Amino acid sequence: MAERISFHEQIARNKRKSFFLVFIVILVIIALAYVIGKIYGDPFVFLIFGTIIAIIYSLIGYYGSSKLAVASVNAKPADRHEHRQYYHIVEGLCLASGMPMPKLYIMENKQINAFASGRNPESSVICVTTGALEKLDKHELEGVLSHELSHIANYDIRFMTLTAILVGMVAIISEIFLRSLWYSGGGNDNKGKSGVIFLLIGILLAILAPIFVQLVQLAISRKREYAADASAVKFTRTPTGLIGALKKIKHEHIDVKTSKHQISKAIAPLFISNPFKNEDVTSTHPSLSKRIEILEKM
Amino acid sequence: MLWSIVGGVAVLLVIVLISYFNRFAILENRIENSASQIDVQLKKRADLVPNLMESVKGYMKHEKTIITEVTNARKALVAAGNLNAKVKADEKLEKALKSIFALAENYPNLKANENFLQLQQELSAIEDKVAYARQYYNDSVLDYANLFRTFPGNMFARIYGKKQKEYLKITEAERAVPKVSF
Repeated sequence: MAERISFHEQIARNKRKSFFLVFIVILVIIALAYVIGKIYGDPFVFLIFGTIIAIIYSLIGYYGSSKLAVASVNAKPADRHEHRQYYHIVEGLCLASGMPMPKLYIMENKQINAFASGRNPESSVICVTTGALEKLDKHELEGVLSHELSHIANYDIRFMTLTAILVGMVAIISEIFLRSLWYSGGGNDNKGKSGVIFLLIGILLAILAPIFVQLVQLAISRKREYAADASAVKFTRTPTGLIGALKKIKHEHIDVKTSKHQISKAIAPLFISNPFKNEDVTSTHPSLSKRIEILEKM
Repeated sequence: MLWSIVGGVAVLLVIVLISYFNRFAILENRIENSASQIDVQLKKRADLVPNLMESVKGYMKHEKTIITEVTNARKALVAAGNLNAKVKADEKLEKALKSIFALAENYPNLKANENFLQLQQELSAIEDKVAYARQYYNDSVLDYANLFRTFPGNMFARIYGKKQKEYLKITEAERAVPKVSF
């Protein structure tokens, strides 16, 4: 254990980061709106319009985050009688961590995976795939759910869900703008030099903003996976369950293409293991081997 | 100038006093809450035992000793007053229940009984939950002890007349694997 992050520190950091993230993304959106407005005519109409949309979108993202995440993977509430073990494990872990009980969901997917979402522990949800319920034994499932509960306890969920939603928005705006350029043709030539400059700035912003925001998101989300693994062990008092689960995930061969349709790229960082299974800079998760290695040392 | 410094220090002191008072209060609440969580699980277990005995009775006619052991352990648990006594009584009950479930392996008809299986599942889930609730109780006591023993918490603890809290200990009986004689 080289560097140990205290939980309170991490929670405070996550809350602070969430706030700054929203702030920065709103600024980016306003800047985009202004530049796009400059190109297409009245910048102030766009500015006011853009600001209002950005704020409303952020509020919806903040208060509806867990519902959006659950809806986007088409998950259904878990039935208490049908999935008794699932409920028992989470109830036990909540007792172990002193946390309120999250709402439990199940998504139809053969991959072993799970995610947590919400703006705070009181409004949190946990969702597991049907694959996880079928392939993991009780002990391993407990490890996975403990990992998800740690994300909730550390307020990772607020930050990660907000990033997912806001990054998604920047991407959408940029995409719409860039596409609109193809169709608008050379209609704005009469605006002269300043028009061209703003057009260039607009294109540059539209291309760079999503990449920049996403890189920040990726770097941060990889680090917190390790932290969540560590606190998962704190709840269950043994790493063996989580190690077993990660090993099973590592060795399962699922056609990634089929699951790609179901899981939007934006919410990938929420999952316990990367649903797209790529292990490089663009990955939202550290490599499974590395995580197993660290857990085995505990 | 001097007065403003004195005033500033006084305000700071009051803030620190209040913040430590609250920190102790929060941790005490957490310990109390986790104690009541243990209590809830113990009560659930005690409530389920009569149902279990009912479903078992017909099959295990010749296991009188173990059945009375469970019944007595449950009675002791219900009668126990404080948390420590309850936890001790519960450990006995848990041990007796383990023997029942081990013995149930000898009765294929009982093992096929839907009601029995459901109760067995329910009770084993409660066993996990009791363990987790106890773990959280001890975690809370640890946090309290950390504040209580380290500086400057130890000073404030004396000012507010706070007492050290007790951990829940695992008794030897629980640590030993239950023996079942056939």
